[in-house]
Amino acid sequence: MPRIKIDHTKCTGCRHCEIACSLNHVANTANPRRARIRVMKDKNRYYPVISGPFVDAACTSRHIIEIDGHRYDMCAFCRASCPEKPFFIEAETGIPLKCDFCGIPPSPSCVRWCNTGALELVEE
Amino acid sequence: MNGWYGRCLRVNLTEGRHKIEKLDGDLLKNFLGGRGLGVKVYSDEVSPQIDPLSPDNKLIFSSGPMVGTGAVTGASCNVVTRSALTGTLACAKMRGHFGAEMKFAGFDMIIIEGKAETPVILSIMDDKIRLIPALEYWGRSTSETEDKFKENLGDQWIARETFLVTIGPAGENLLPLANIVNDRFLSVGGAGIGAVMGSKNLKAVAVKGQHSLKVSDGNRFVQVVNTMINKLNSAPLTSQSMPQWGSAFLVGLCYQKGILPGNNFQKASVSLRHIGTEALEGAFALRSRGCFSCPIACIKKTDIKHHAYEGKGMIPTYLAIGSLGTNCGVSDLSIIGMTNMLCAEMGLDPVATGGMLATAMELVERKIATPEELKIDIRFGNGNGILEALRLISTKKGHAKRLGQGGKILAESFERPDLFMGVKGMPLSPFDPRALQGMGLHFATCNYGSHHLYAYTFIDELLNVNENLDPSEIKGKPGLVKLYQDTTAVMDSLGLCCWPLLGLKFKNFVPLINSCLGTNYSAEDLLFIGERVWNLEHLFNMKANFNKSHDVLPLRFTEEPISDGNGGEKVSRVNEMLPEYYYLRGWNEQGEPMKETLKALGLEDSSCQG
Repeated sequence: MPRIKIDHTKCTGCRHCEIACSLNHVANTANPRRARIRVMKDKNRYYPVISGPFVDAACTSRHIIEIDGHRYDMCAFCRASCPEKPFFIEAETGIPLKCDFCGIPPSPSCVRWCNTGALELVEE
Repeated sequence: MNGWYGRCLRVNLTEGRHKIEKLDGDLLKNFLGGRGLGVKVYSDEVSPQIDPLSPDNKLIFSSGPMVGTGAVTGASCNVVTRSALTGTLACAKMRGHFGAEMKFAGFDMIIIEGKAETPVILSIMDDKIRLIPALEYWGRSTSETEDKFKENLGDQWIARETFLVTIGPAGENLLPLANIVNDRFLSVGGAGIGAVMGSKNLKAVAVKGQHSLKVSDGNRFVQVVNTMINKLNSAPLTSQSMPQWGSAFLVGLCYQKGILPGNNFQKASVSLRHIGTEALEGAFALRSRGCFSCPIACIKKTDIKHHAYEGKGMIPTYLAIGSLGTNCGVSDLSIIGMTNMLCAEMGLDPVATGGMLATAMELVERKIATPEELKIDIRFGNGNGILEALRLISTKKGHAKRLGQGGKILAESFERPDLFMGVKGMPLSPFDPRALQGMGLHFATCNYGSHHLYAYTFIDELLNVNENLDPSEIKGKPGLVKLYQDTTAVMDSLGLCCWPLLGLKFKNFVPLINSCLGTNYSAEDLLFIGERVWNLEHLFNMKANFNKSHDVLPLRFTEEPISDGNGGEKVSRVNEMLPEYYYLRGWNEQGEPMKETLKALGLEDSSCQG
């Protein structure tokens, strides 16, 4: 099964993937808020987050992760969109967005535009 | 509308009101947007005789049509006003994410007029436009302001999508050296804009938006972007040098050719060992950071731990290494890195500040001024003195006011204007015009003072990307300078960065532009627009009393050959090239555009009325 592998050490935070996604899913439209991938930033890191399931209640299991002495809020890494985190919901229609690997066969546009190799399509 | 949003926000700070205007379609077609449109609107609305710091002056933020559409390197937002440093037009190029966010907020242009009574921040959040009192931010450094503002938003998700452009203490204190800083520490070029923003009591502009941008032919556009990314990857400069070291890769090459200046352009830089790319990797842990939709990602970040500055920072670019480093006699990269960061924190322009410091240092070296007179201990090579000076100048403590006025005024106050190495009040970027003749001609003729950002002639002169030219020859250089000045003007107007020209030709951008905007421009049409913009800027400067006598390099470059270094004993032959340049531009011998030239460019209405 194909997966998109994320290597956050290579991400430069240019957000080209967001626009690639938006252009591919909404005809002729560039808008990061309509993309199914968003680049988050915390401390010194950028990490792309690909939209996952939509949940209609906020979870109770929020964790703090420690990497290299920096503390990160688990919430930012989470792929779900929830009432506490209003990402991956299309602003104009309110419809939750989910990554579909840009159809079959999978050829995600975000991977194609990611020049640094932070995003990679792998078979698992 | 494709690419453009077609809306302009006009904010009057005196009245505290704003209104949203539609942008005229013909204007967009003839001036595109960004720098071109900004200059057009500014020169139509503001008198060239205006005092840059008066409330009647205007400040224009203008994003080009390609910004935010996903076009390769479409990230640059231009800021146009009359510079407090040079008195010419000033045009900053904001990289990072601010320009794109401004487009998503639904505006191609933000015009700021008047003056607020007390400090304010202009906040544009999802169509809610407000002026927020900013007393608590006043006096804070740029990164503190940004952090505090985001903290006060109270919602981490909103904060993540908000982008700011701020001024530091230097801008608040109306120093002509002041600059504006966006996305925490990206300095934008165009010195003198910070003071204009400070004079309006505007501490920052914050934007966040969720509007969509339309692209004319999405499928074609995506294909073109794919091709361009591949092309960038197959060119050595844009696939290796730039992503690895940013513009600092130029240091080695410029040193070899004797272009890297030392001690206020008195000599060629001494040694590469401490400042080359190897030293750079040794001194800092590099992380790449990209501007919006840029596959190159030439901004390099690092962590700096030092008593003078601690925290996240940017590693010095070529500009910083040259201006704040070798030209001030400093060759310690960690000190250069910190001075660069302090400039960003205080909102000082690195080139203008570096040039001023170098002038002051030469005055001290020649015993014309004493450190006691300047109230600051600065000498060539004294890095700690520079760090101290930057803080004192920008906060105006320690009576260093004289230095804050810029190198030109400083040199004149000691009756040695010849020791200021700059044109029109702007210090030279660190490219020695004696060894790089084309750049010298550009420095003399540039509408914004001697800054290399407005014509990357070194792409052909030094790096030989498209043509194999000798840096010290003058043959063909006037044409090259005109070509790059026009190319840069049109790239800025579109909102594209100029660094990809290291790997792509300008004509490669044409299909990108047409598929995005739904237009049928040819490369010549676009360069013609660039020429129109350049002439319009020139006309504004002429009305602001700039003439041929300002198109000269300091005497040092035309009379004193460099005695050491690899450049050989050469002087700048700018005066030989000038007549040909004027001729190619369609200007008369006095450097004034001829009637026919203006008519062809469609600028008759803007002609100089004397």
